[in-house]
Amino acid sequence: MVKPKAVVDKKKCLACGGCISICVQDAITMISDKSTIDKDKCISCGICINTCPVGAIYWEGKLS
Amino acid sequence: MKYDVVVVGSGPAGTVTARFAAEAGAKVLIIERRQEIGVPVLCGEGISKKVDDYNVLKGKRWIANNMDGARIFSPDGTKVTLDADMAGNETGYVLYRDIFDQELARGAVSAGAKIMLNTCALDLIKEKNKIKGVKARYFDEDIEIEADVVVGADGVESKVGRWAGIKTVLKPKDLETCAQYTLTGVDVNRAYCDFYLGKKIAPGGYVWVFPKSKDVANVGIGILASLSSPGLATKLLDKFIDSHPELKKGEPIRFLAGAVPVSEPYEAVMDNLILIGDAARQVDPITGGGLIACLDAGRIAGEVLGKAVEKQNFSSDILKEYENRAAASFYKKMKRNYAVKEIMLGFEDKTLNMLADSLKDVKFDEISTLELIKALVLRHPSLMIKLRPLMKAAKR
Repeated sequence: MVKPKAVVDKKKCLACGGCISICVQDAITMISDKSTIDKDKCISCGICINTCPVGAIYWEGKLS
Repeated sequence: MKYDVVVVGSGPAGTVTARFAAEAGAKVLIIERRQEIGVPVLCGEGISKKVDDYNVLKGKRWIANNMDGARIFSPDGTKVTLDADMAGNETGYVLYRDIFDQELARGAVSAGAKIMLNTCALDLIKEKNKIKGVKARYFDEDIEIEADVVVGADGVESKVGRWAGIKTVLKPKDLETCAQYTLTGVDVNRAYCDFYLGKKIAPGGYVWVFPKSKDVANVGIGILASLSSPGLATKLLDKFIDSHPELKKGEPIRFLAGAVPVSEPYEAVMDNLILIGDAARQVDPITGGGLIACLDAGRIAGEVLGKAVEKQNFSSDILKEYENRAAASFYKKMKRNYAVKEIMLGFEDKTLNMLADSLKDVKFDEISTLELIKALVLRHPSLMIKLRPLMKAAKR
């Protein structure tokens, strides 16, 4: 089963670091002042998506 | 490159630590991944007048506005006014936080610390599990900075702590997710910092209006991450501004997002490493304010680092003095306020309205605890039951 993964919209990300601080997988790093999610580490929990204050993180891909 | 202390992060926690460590004789380097200290501003910019006691800032350029106090608005709009002495961490001055941070950095440099900008920490240097410094990228060049102690002052998302093996991940219920506009052309009372409470206004947090002048204000929101949905902080903030004509007529000159740990303090020391500031969760869990804690903890950490250099002993046994003294200074209040935060999260809007109604005419500059309880109970006897856990927490 392939799960959708969390992805950052770099145009919206304001680099607050909130998603990084709550990611249990340590899957998010700040690269050039934008949060960047490592798809291989992401377990599709969605916590970062809910946490983002500006709605810059979204699901990519469908459940298949 | 070999230093006694390398500080990762040039916010107040980092630069104040660097300053006092350098004053105590340590050879200190601060690294900062961005190209300018203090920018972008990620802060509501309120600070208590206690800042004056620390003598770490020159001049007054960092002050935007000198406050008389704070006003708290309950969900139905009932107003409780607090004088600056009573309002705790968040009122006193409204800052220009970029200038504030740069002034603190100037203090560190005057004491002998070095600064490298555009230098992003990538990992710790470890030899046989012993921390020996940091690996970093300076522009696009990979470098190694050797140091006897690494100070993680790298904010809420602290990577230094994670690299060292400390479990720094925050639970969503222990993180406030924030958004803020700086609005110009607004019409505000420049004497007061305002706080708005309510589950519909800001679940698990509050909206703040901090005036920088009579027509410029920081208008921001913090909500608990566990109660958030995608982009909710910004949506609720926009809704709040739309429903306040005195703010709605303004235009934004700055927009920012932020994240604030609202948790209990935790392990911040190991051999050759300390964490400080947001990285060590040194934030008041009720207000989300952390600047005074940075100044306090930074001074302590700097002094302890100076002693460690003198003794050439960088083990946790020596560095632990930092944690012990920070605990004595403000951890107790943090723990108590964490308990209060948990209790207040359970309050319905109705309870907050009753509380505000009981307190609205109370003069907070001359009140004792007993009078406070009398005022509460006389008006709304049922509050007594709701407040019992709070009284218990306060006695701790």
